[in-house]
Amino acid sequence: MIALVQPLIPALRRYARALLRDRDAADDLVQDVLERAIARWHQRQRLSSLRAWLFAILHNLAMDRLRQRGRRGHPTSIDDVPEVRLATPPTQEAAAAQRDVMALVDRLPEEQRSALLLIGVEELSYAEAARVLDVPQGTIMSRLSRARERLRRLMEDDEAAASRPALRIVP
Amino acid sequence: MNEAPVTEAEIQAHVDGRLSPERAAIVDAWLAKQPDEAARVASYHAQRDALRAALDPVLDEPLPAALDLRLRETAPAGQLRSGHSALAASVAGLLLLGGAGGWTLRGMDTPVLTGTAALAREAAASYTIYAGDRARPVELAADQRLTLDSWLSRRLSRPIAAPDLDAAGLRLIGGRLLPTEHGPAGLYLYQNAKGERIALYLRIMKSDDKTGRMTRREEDGVRGWTWADDGLGFGIFGDAPGDFLHSTANMVRAQYRRS
Repeated sequence: MIALVQPLIPALRRYARALLRDRDAADDLVQDVLERAIARWHQRQRLSSLRAWLFAILHNLAMDRLRQRGRRGHPTSIDDVPEVRLATPPTQEAAAAQRDVMALVDRLPEEQRSALLLIGVEELSYAEAARVLDVPQGTIMSRLSRARERLRRLMEDDEAAASRPALRIVP
Repeated sequence: MNEAPVTEAEIQAHVDGRLSPERAAIVDAWLAKQPDEAARVASYHAQRDALRAALDPVLDEPLPAALDLRLRETAPAGQLRSGHSALAASVAGLLLLGGAGGWTLRGMDTPVLTGTAALAREAAASYTIYAGDRARPVELAADQRLTLDSWLSRRLSRPIAAPDLDAAGLRLIGGRLLPTEHGPAGLYLYQNAKGERIALYLRIMKSDDKTGRMTRREEDGVRGWTWADDGLGFGIFGDAPGDFLHSTANMVRAQYRRS
């Protein structure tokens, strides 16, 4: 069991981090996933994808946490606070750009965000992603398509906003 | 040739690299005639790259002990959470023991050691604490060798890699990062077929002792050899015959000088 699950843990951490956007909360979530996986190991269907099974456990637990968080109000992670953009060295700029793309992903509807992350980042097959999200594969495809189009528009708006001068002369 | 029209699902599959080569060629040819659609696909590729760039660094982070299944092999299911706090406490204890009790608080009458003599003491203490721990000697195991190497390289600001000691009958178990009063140190543990372990300990040396000749050491009954090359200090320690440790040390030194 350890030999099968251990190699998947880094990817589980990555997906958890992308959903929760908080390192400690994400690692705590992955720990819960591992405990459930151990407790329910005999219940998994041996012939189906272990990866899909683990990501499904993770996804469902993450959704519970996000709902709880939603009821309490969304705490602003330090990562979400834009740093001063002036006079920052290039590495910080790159880090800021990466935070920016995640900030835009955060604005996607949850179902689109999950599809985008599971397929684009975690490289699950469409069938595996359908299993994780418990929807037909056609639904996955349309969520993926909508996610990418929406993110494209958000990125374009973001670029346009960034290139707009900060001070405008009001006539 | 299949002339079926290109669907939206196919465009997505194209972005994900999941079309058959034949169908991908058809979609490429179609995109060449549709600049708007080509721009859309290019933007999707850029999105994917940006997402990977933002999220992939998580993969390189060392796994916290709480998430490392190999560290909980003996813990019964259902008691994992409490098992982890106990583990965390014992690891913290070891770090304290190693960081403070092991060599920094040896008593006021002990002369302050520098150079590879100080390194020898740290390395022997690390060997005693970690090689003797049958349950969890390392933080990252050998199957994460590259992660371990890159972690240590990053923290020591030097290219660090676990040497290949197959010729000495030693197989890498794994390693960890250690705190010392001279900064971070790296520890690799190896084991032979009989289960005997040796430790390779590395850290950056201070400016005045950047090189040091191969020196035989004995610290609290643990034998070993130390040397420093180009600002990087090394120690090989273990409960093994001195000449075996010496030849292993030479093997490590040769591999580092080659690299």
